[in-house]
Amino acid sequence: MHNRILIADDHSMIRKGIKLLLQTHLGITEVYEAATGSGVMQELREREYSHIILDIILSDCTCLEIIPNIQQLYPELKIMVFSMLNGAVYGEALKQYKIYYYLEKTSKEEDTISFLDEFINHHKPVPNTSSGQTFINPFNQLSPRELEVLHYMLNGYGTKDISSTLNLRMTTVSTLKNRIFDKTMTSNLKELMQLASLYNVN
Amino acid sequence: MLKMPWYQNTWFIISLLLFALGYVTIVLIIRAKRFIIRQNVLRALVERKTKELMKKTEELEKNDLIKTRLISIISHDIITPLRFLHMACKNLIESNGSMSEALKLETMTEIANTSRELEMLSTNIMNWIKYQNENRQLLREEVRLPDMIQQVFGVLNGMARQKNIVLSNGVPHDFTVRQYAEPLRIILYNLVVNALNFMEKGHITIAARNLRHGVLIEVKDEGFGMSKEQINNILDDQFIVSSTNADGRKGNGLGYLIIKDLLRVTEGNFTIKSARNKGTTIKLFFPNQLVA
Repeated sequence: MHNRILIADDHSMIRKGIKLLLQTHLGITEVYEAATGSGVMQELREREYSHIILDIILSDCTCLEIIPNIQQLYPELKIMVFSMLNGAVYGEALKQYKIYYYLEKTSKEEDTISFLDEFINHHKPVPNTSSGQTFINPFNQLSPRELEVLHYMLNGYGTKDISSTLNLRMTTVSTLKNRIFDKTMTSNLKELMQLASLYNVN
Repeated sequence: MLKMPWYQNTWFIISLLLFALGYVTIVLIIRAKRFIIRQNVLRALVERKTKELMKKTEELEKNDLIKTRLISIISHDIITPLRFLHMACKNLIESNGSMSEALKLETMTEIANTSRELEMLSTNIMNWIKYQNENRQLLREEVRLPDMIQQVFGVLNGMARQKNIVLSNGVPHDFTVRQYAEPLRIILYNLVVNALNFMEKGHITIAARNLRHGVLIEVKDEGFGMSKEQINNILDDQFIVSSTNADGRKGNGLGYLIIKDLLRVTEGNFTIKSARNKGTTIKLFFPNQLVA
């Protein structure tokens, strides 16, 4: 199958930007877009894709919520995550989902292009990561589940809202919340939010 | 029998002792009472100060939260789009025919829309910061409401036409309000933008009328409506929750934050009435100003 790529990002400017890079630098013309998690699932149902480029924050969910589903339904689909959020945190967490392609949106244009080229044209299951050093970071220890909950906490959702959004029991959410506070060594939401904005986590 | 002098009389001594005792007791009681009164005064003072401090802390905490939220809005909704806008422009310039006409047009349309959105968002952030410290130099003026609404509609007409939404001004042409012009304009602007973002087609109508105790302005849309939770989140002072709109685009929660802050400046209040898929009506009420 030739390359057909789906870009999922909540900003249309960014989708267009990536589309432009793919077409002008890599010569890939079959590029489609989705803005929401449900849009992604619908697109995947309608067409057969070879690659998907996902942003962490979509307008109706975080990509962490849909990745397990995508991987189960489309095991052949190659996934790359492209986000402005801290790679040291999310890149690590995504490795638990066996996703090794993570690029920060703040990367230089040439780096973005070469990374996209590697992801699409020279795909290896586990790329040799160039950045050997991992920085110590209070959010490194969080699991994907905890990062999901963290996202909704930082956006002002209460325990009840989180439990209904993520389909979890209230007690589970409280446990996850406590674990987040423990792991980041914060004692309340305010401290957590400040720490999160410092480390570019959302 | 030896007659004792009167002051050696047992009864006299006893009564003297009693008198002394009584005096001491009375003095003690009075002093204790005074203490209690002073204590009460102090307690009230401490209570008042504690309340003030708690209010201040709350305000500071709210500001802190808003600041963190603003950082995330600026980084996610301004800086990142700008980066890609720049990149897209650069590629357009350097493409030399390697780009299809369709993609060129698509990119340019996107650049036009995004730069417009960025301008609107930055203006709103500026507005919010500007009216944070209650500006006392502001003066109330006679505002011709229909003209102001026309002005707001003028800015947003392009956006409305794209979505087939009709903006209608139902305010009588000689209707005036004594108000701070700029804050009122920003409130109306944000309400119309909200309505536009949360509907696909239909009418947005602004109406106004004089009531006995003040002025009522109504902004009515035929959009998707809001759930009770969404309304409560908006009314709640603590948090700014963003919610998804029609295109699946997220609001950033800044609109109502600004509206609420500016209603404080204009001494107005508001109510939200909404039904799912029928629309939302926002009522703004500005009580009459007492003539000083």
